Amino acid sequence: MKSDAPPLDYHALNAMLNLYDDEGRIQFDADRQAARQYFLQHVNRNTVFFHSLEEKLHYLVEEGYYEAAVLEAYSAGFLQQIWQAAFAHKFRFPTFLGAFKYYTSYTLTTRDGARYLERFEDRVVMVSLSLARGDEGFAMRLMEEILSGRFQPATPTFLNAGKAQRGELISCFLLRLEDTMESIGRGINSALQLSRRGGGVALLLTNIREQGAPIKGIENQSSGVIPVMKLLEDSFSYANQLGARQGAGAVYLNAHHPDILRFLDSKRENADEKIRIKTLSLGVVIPDITFELARRNEDMYLFSPHDVQIVYGKPLADLSVTEHYHDMVNDPRIRKRKINARQLFQSIAEIQFESGYPYILFEDTANRANPVQGRISMSNLCSEILQVNEASTFNDDLSYQHLGSDISCNLGSLNIARVMDGGRLGESVATAILALSAVSEMSAIDSVPSVRRGNDESHAIGLGQMNLHGYLAREHIHYGSKEGIDFTNIYFCTVLYHCLRASHALAREKGESFAGFEQSRYADGSFFNDYVTGEFVPATARVRELFETAGIEIPGVEQWQALRESIMQGGLYNRNLQAVPPTGSISYINNSTSSIHPITSRIEIRKEGKLGRVYYPAPYMNNENMAYYRDAYDIGPEAIIDTYAAATRHVDQGLSLTLFFKDTATTRDINRAQIHAWKQGIKTLYYVRLRQLALEGTEVQGCVSCSL
Amino acid sequence: MMLSNNARSIPLAINWNRLDDDKDLEIWNRLTSNFWLPEKVPLSNDIPSWTKLTEQERQLTIRVFTGLTLLDTIQNSVGAPALMPDALTPHEEAVLSNIAFMEAVHARSYSSVFSTLCQSAEVDEAFRWSAENEHLQAKSRLILDEYNSTAHPLRRKIASVFLESFLFYSGFYLPMHWSSRARLTNTADLIRLIIRDEAVHGYYIGYKYQRGLERLDDGEREELKDFAFALLFDLYEIETRYTESLYDSLGLSEDVKHFLHYNANKALQNLGYEALFPDEACAVSPAIMASLSPNADENHDFFSGSGSSYVIGKAVATEDEDWAF
Repeated sequence: MKSDAPPLDYHALNAMLNLYDDEGRIQFDADRQAARQYFLQHVNRNTVFFHSLEEKLHYLVEEGYYEAAVLEAYSAGFLQQIWQAAFAHKFRFPTFLGAFKYYTSYTLTTRDGARYLERFEDRVVMVSLSLARGDEGFAMRLMEEILSGRFQPATPTFLNAGKAQRGELISCFLLRLEDTMESIGRGINSALQLSRRGGGVALLLTNIREQGAPIKGIENQSSGVIPVMKLLEDSFSYANQLGARQGAGAVYLNAHHPDILRFLDSKRENADEKIRIKTLSLGVVIPDITFELARRNEDMYLFSPHDVQIVYGKPLADLSVTEHYHDMVNDPRIRKRKINARQLFQSIAEIQFESGYPYILFEDTANRANPVQGRISMSNLCSEILQVNEASTFNDDLSYQHLGSDISCNLGSLNIARVMDGGRLGESVATAILALSAVSEMSAIDSVPSVRRGNDESHAIGLGQMNLHGYLAREHIHYGSKEGIDFTNIYFCTVLYHCLRASHALAREKGESFAGFEQSRYADGSFFNDYVTGEFVPATARVRELFETAGIEIPGVEQWQALRESIMQGGLYNRNLQAVPPTGSISYINNSTSSIHPITSRIEIRKEGKLGRVYYPAPYMNNENMAYYRDAYDIGPEAIIDTYAAATRHVDQGLSLTLFFKDTATTRDINRAQIHAWKQGIKTLYYVRLRQLALEGTEVQGCVSCSL
Repeated sequence: MMLSNNARSIPLAINWNRLDDDKDLEIWNRLTSNFWLPEKVPLSNDIPSWTKLTEQERQLTIRVFTGLTLLDTIQNSVGAPALMPDALTPHEEAVLSNIAFMEAVHARSYSSVFSTLCQSAEVDEAFRWSAENEHLQAKSRLILDEYNSTAHPLRRKIASVFLESFLFYSGFYLPMHWSSRARLTNTADLIRLIIRDEAVHGYYIGYKYQRGLERLDDGEREELKDFAFALLFDLYEIETRYTESLYDSLGLSEDVKHFLHYNANKALQNLGYEALFPDEACAVSPAIMASLSPNADENHDFFSGSGSSYVIGKAVATEDEDWAF
């Protein structure tokens, strides 16, 4: 480019990331220029200017942009202090996508959307002030954690907190549907209400009677789960958050439900429009018995939920299919049909090729690992939430006969690299747990009473992690290597210790534990069995060195024993503590790799409605250390599964785990990976993603993401 | 297959286990695993974005798409079938029939865009426009003349490669441009699926062209090469005027022309010829170049459509050893 040429526009500069330069090097500098030009050409010109903090806050409260109560909880002097401290960080977005994502999706704008009212620091301070609810010390600590990039609240919290016109702070909702029209109707209404407020909603279909089941004793009347899915899909596309984003939903069905093949076929490429499901996400709940039957290459029976309800007096989702399988097979009162078990796995893999769906929940694994009383029968839109629920029953006017409990979860993630750099892992975790608990306390979903009840009684939260691959690569450790897995194990074990400790401190402070604590494996101490034997110490010198250098102590046997005794007496505030979400948007803002996944590409192509196509370089990558940035397709499913298995044993809920395959894979490869995951104690599987490389001779010249 | 009256040839069943050219199977596999239908793409998610385009931008978009529809229609009903009698192997015929069908899917998918986003009156106007537009008609005429000509069978392949690898791209530019500006991103996904197909089509027909050349003497080869470059010049002439008439109002004509140069070189490369335009003349805006790659490493969330990356998989049953636990 000639020096007198006008600067390229920021989209073009950003796109240069995906094109090699003349010497075949990735043009990282172009992206940094893109970020800079974005501010010069766009952000600075479109930001409303205020002379002072007072003027700004006064204006934003008067005009109804900020919630006055949030600010009134603090003195004017403290507000000055926290804002000054925030701007003293001199925060800069290291990538174009981070800046672009923040300004298009999070920051407060004038009502016409034309001008920006906040910078990144303003958003961080407002989130901290609202969650701290007048506690100055906590507000300051939380601001430091977020602005230093160690903790990042999930999108709904980070987007909404402190704004006067806002959606909910909670990310995720899971609702049961029972086999009655009242429950289905109520479920659709709840889906609309929650979607409108910005949550992703998952619904359980396992209990809905199958196609052809009798209604009021008349045979062949029911139309099964597909029409319910259609209704839900339309509801989600109707309800969007002030147009900000479309509603999104998922549905889960047990593999032994008679409609299972119809359910899967709704995602086929050539499905009829009437039954085709385009935007709803699907999940299949697979019990251990299905694997056992497939191992023996036998047929598997599918059971009518309608008859199961009559015979057992409770819905199919509340029964362990594994435990009751042979009884149900032999019970003549239960209508059943059979399909080949291996064929089901193959069909699942075929549809995953075509659509990426279904997600999979390994039901028995999740329930064995569940430390609290009750049954896990479903997961959510990102397959990381695993909590117990309870059915509701309804009167004819749709009011509750019995108010059950449904699931909500608010999330936030730690940036592993930043937390290790910070050296105070315990404090970072404690601040995060406090912030997530605050979201739970501040939320009351009155439109869906069963969710409100669930949240009030459990204060369930989900602390996640991200930037594992970025951290490992920066430290010259290969993802999925012995050291990589060792680090994952020790890091998650240490995080668990501090999560429990923080939640326990909250319980002592408030004099309150979650409902059902007494029946949990925390209360009888059995949860700690693996930890008080001293099993979890670094297996490699490199990992020991990483923790030592960081000055982070790995809790030993005495500390675990002391914590066990203390918790058995004093309880835990939160019924659920950890869940590792896929972290899309927030990892771009936070300059992380997503979740604990490997990168999908050295230069990732991100497509979203609001952004168009944007390019994102892997964090800490340069033209020298690229060898540590092997992508997920190259690394392959086994190493990913083994890394996740190391983390899974320390996480009470789930972890979103995507499987990546090259297009030379067959359905058998996918099935083998699923079997491996199940054997390794993985609880859920998220998307299956395929990468098809351009046919040799048809690729785009000089394109980074087209070549290996 | 029919009995021809000259030599009473025996009807033969196609045997995919006896290949004369491995490329046929490779391309067949690629094309079938790439199979898609427009219903897969949630185009209706683009409605809010569509309403934000100005009236002029909307009109341009519809016109560009009717232009593309015309090219796909030609390729479906005339182009690919015209190549079949020249096929060197029965497998090539089968691949061509797949190409013909997918061209029909492409033509069909523009109508899906129209029916989702536009009013019928606007669409009717655009189809009228495409029937009357001199540049569009001129380039169609040039290509169709070759398809119908009896001059030399390989000339049909040249015309076909130019259509697949060159003529589409003045139209493809626009949705790629919109998507790099966060507009009509799902429509862009659909177009990217079409681009993915056309890239393979152009490559394959070009490959067969080169196999055909191998059977000719130097004189004939020289003649065909001269013909190819002459045809490209004629088409290029029309394309620049077509481009100016469409894109001048958006100030994009210069960049679109770079894109034409880039793709003209690609088309020549498919035929086995050297590039015509120097690299500087092919410096397309990086946003457009980068947006062409349809690979599955594109990342998107469930709020934003399905992407353009999934393929139909190869089903292989699991064996006992897989279930050893």
